Amino acid sequence: MKTTLKTAIVGCGQIADGHISEVQKLTRAEVVAVCDLEILMAEQAASRHGVPRYYDKLEQMLEKEQPDVVHITTPPQAHLPLAVSAIDAGCHVYVEKPFTPSYKETRQLVEYAQEKGRKLTIGHIYYFDPPALTLRELVGQGVIGDPVHVESFYGYSLGGSFGKAILGNGTHWVHALPGKLFQNNIDHLLNKVIEFVQDERPVIKVFSDIRRTTRLGDIRDEMPDELRLMIQGSSTTAYATFSSHIKPAAHFMRLYGTKNIAHADFVSRTVTLEQEPTLPSALGRLLPAFNMGKQYRREGWRNVGRFIRSDFHFFAGMHNLISRFYDSILNDTPPPVSHRDILRIAWMMDEIFDQINRQETAT
Amino acid sequence: MTVLVTGSNGFLGSALVERLALHGVRHIRCLVREGSDRSRLERLKEEYPDADIHYHTGTLVSRKDPLEAIRGVDTIYHLAASLSGAPADMFLNTVVGTKYLMEAVISENPGIHVVHVSSFSVYGAANLPAGSLITEQTPLETHPERRDPYAFVKWHQEKLLLACQKEHEFPLTILRPGVIYGPHGSAVSGRVGLQFGSIFLHLGGSNILPLSYVDNCAEAIVHCAQKNMAGVSVFNVHDDDLPTSREYLKSYKRQVKKVRAIPVPYPLLQMGSRAVEWYHQYSRGQLPAIFTPYKTANLWKGHRFDNEKLKKTGWRQLVSTQEGMKKSFDYFRNLK
Repeated sequence: MKTTLKTAIVGCGQIADGHISEVQKLTRAEVVAVCDLEILMAEQAASRHGVPRYYDKLEQMLEKEQPDVVHITTPPQAHLPLAVSAIDAGCHVYVEKPFTPSYKETRQLVEYAQEKGRKLTIGHIYYFDPPALTLRELVGQGVIGDPVHVESFYGYSLGGSFGKAILGNGTHWVHALPGKLFQNNIDHLLNKVIEFVQDERPVIKVFSDIRRTTRLGDIRDEMPDELRLMIQGSSTTAYATFSSHIKPAAHFMRLYGTKNIAHADFVSRTVTLEQEPTLPSALGRLLPAFNMGKQYRREGWRNVGRFIRSDFHFFAGMHNLISRFYDSILNDTPPPVSHRDILRIAWMMDEIFDQINRQETAT
Repeated sequence: MTVLVTGSNGFLGSALVERLALHGVRHIRCLVREGSDRSRLERLKEEYPDADIHYHTGTLVSRKDPLEAIRGVDTIYHLAASLSGAPADMFLNTVVGTKYLMEAVISENPGIHVVHVSSFSVYGAANLPAGSLITEQTPLETHPERRDPYAFVKWHQEKLLLACQKEHEFPLTILRPGVIYGPHGSAVSGRVGLQFGSIFLHLGGSNILPLSYVDNCAEAIVHCAQKNMAGVSVFNVHDDDLPTSREYLKSYKRQVKKVRAIPVPYPLLQMGSRAVEWYHQYSRGQLPAIFTPYKTANLWKGHRFDNEKLKKTGWRQLVSTQEGMKKSFDYFRNLK
């Protein structure tokens, strides 16, 4: 049985740096090569990360390196053909989010991997971030009770390096996605919802808007930047917010249960509980603030402990996801994100973007 | 004569467009991205109507746009480069963009004169003894991957141009400026120090600050390009009467605003850099290695700088260092 894996990266843009760094932290894997259509991009990634070889042709890399795992970090329009090539070469595949531009392509890829017996995962990194893992533990212990409602919030800064790249270039691949900016980001919004809204086809109501006032006279002006979703499942409901203007660019989820409300903050990496008052009347209103203060102090010290143990990295969730994916390959166990969840999110995205398009057509 | 300026709406780019207009250059084509800020270029268009300053909208990170941009051009002033952002994006916009530009030059107009604005950061100064003079003969960096992302991409950009010139033999003029400063620029260079919360860590100490006032730098670019030399010509660009980092910071504090600065002597800085590098490796990247002994030696070991070659061409500083600092500080004081 294999104990170490050979990894190759396809697509050497910004996110590839995160993948290479996180794989290099694992003792049971090695990044053997990187590949990009633009050879200079492959060369710079190899040079900065000490990767031994680089290529500009996928087929050549697959043939020469024979990797066990391929990470696809290209624009999503290329994910399906690249993943199929990697699967044909016998590789397991980690596909960055968004998985593909449509439900149809996503289903095609999932079915192809199943048919060929290869493992597949998607870059749902925050699903494995420390706050998400803590929250999952609390749910498992019955602390929250039965989930009633979920709130998911994902703030995005268009002033960041990727946001600037999108706004600075009308031919950026994001503008060619059916869901544009939303499609590149709302995996992070929806994967927190589908954990608790388990329906195959929940009811979704969509509100979207363009809040930017600057007009550039091209396709960029058509990119919505504010999204609100109301989602109704058979036993659980959800709100989801994507905002490019609310400051700070918060990132959290709240899980409302029959016993307690949990608040998981992915920026400060804290998980706190709002609990029923244990004392009556005014005393019951006095104590919760101290209780919250105590919880935040506890979470703060827990983070200090993580920092001291060098376990407080930016890409902690990606690290956990890659680690679990590789375990699933080495031990032949199910991958960390189920195919069902990959498909449900792809369906929700299609539904959301269809509604936005219908609303735009109507107006 | 038509010239193309890439990076034309930037700090140095707009100063260069003005110097070109003042030198009587007509037909100045400015490559600008869709939706980019063109306010300073708009002002120049009004001020110099005879210069025929016009836009070509596009990006270098495309194989199509550079082909159209260079049509009918005699000289390219190549200033476009990313100053910040994710390393991969900086590389894409700076190096890959330069590759596509040069592919267009070679296929459309291989005799074109390319004037490239490089940087002092391409020199490999870390292993030189303290006090060494950085001239155009100083060896280039041998480990760009150990430097900061800006130095990494500028080194690769220049390497690409030199390799391209070697193969196709077009006239290539390379200017390597030190710290370009002036109104609209950066108030305090990273060579002086680093803002850390409310404290300014003064790292430069007695190091000479290789300042180049933006108009002096732009003048050097036009001046060297107009010599129209064949082959490759390389020039360091900085002004005379250079202050030390300490003198610059003292003037800044006196003329612009108070700064809570803590001086960090070089031996202490080297110790700190070793600690930062060790922790970065130990923690597997929990904190970035913004300082390493190698980066620190490159910037603050106490090198000296030489602009004799530039002066031998007849270039003279338009704005004295004293006047340049005053203009710059007046601007930043009034920004408050």
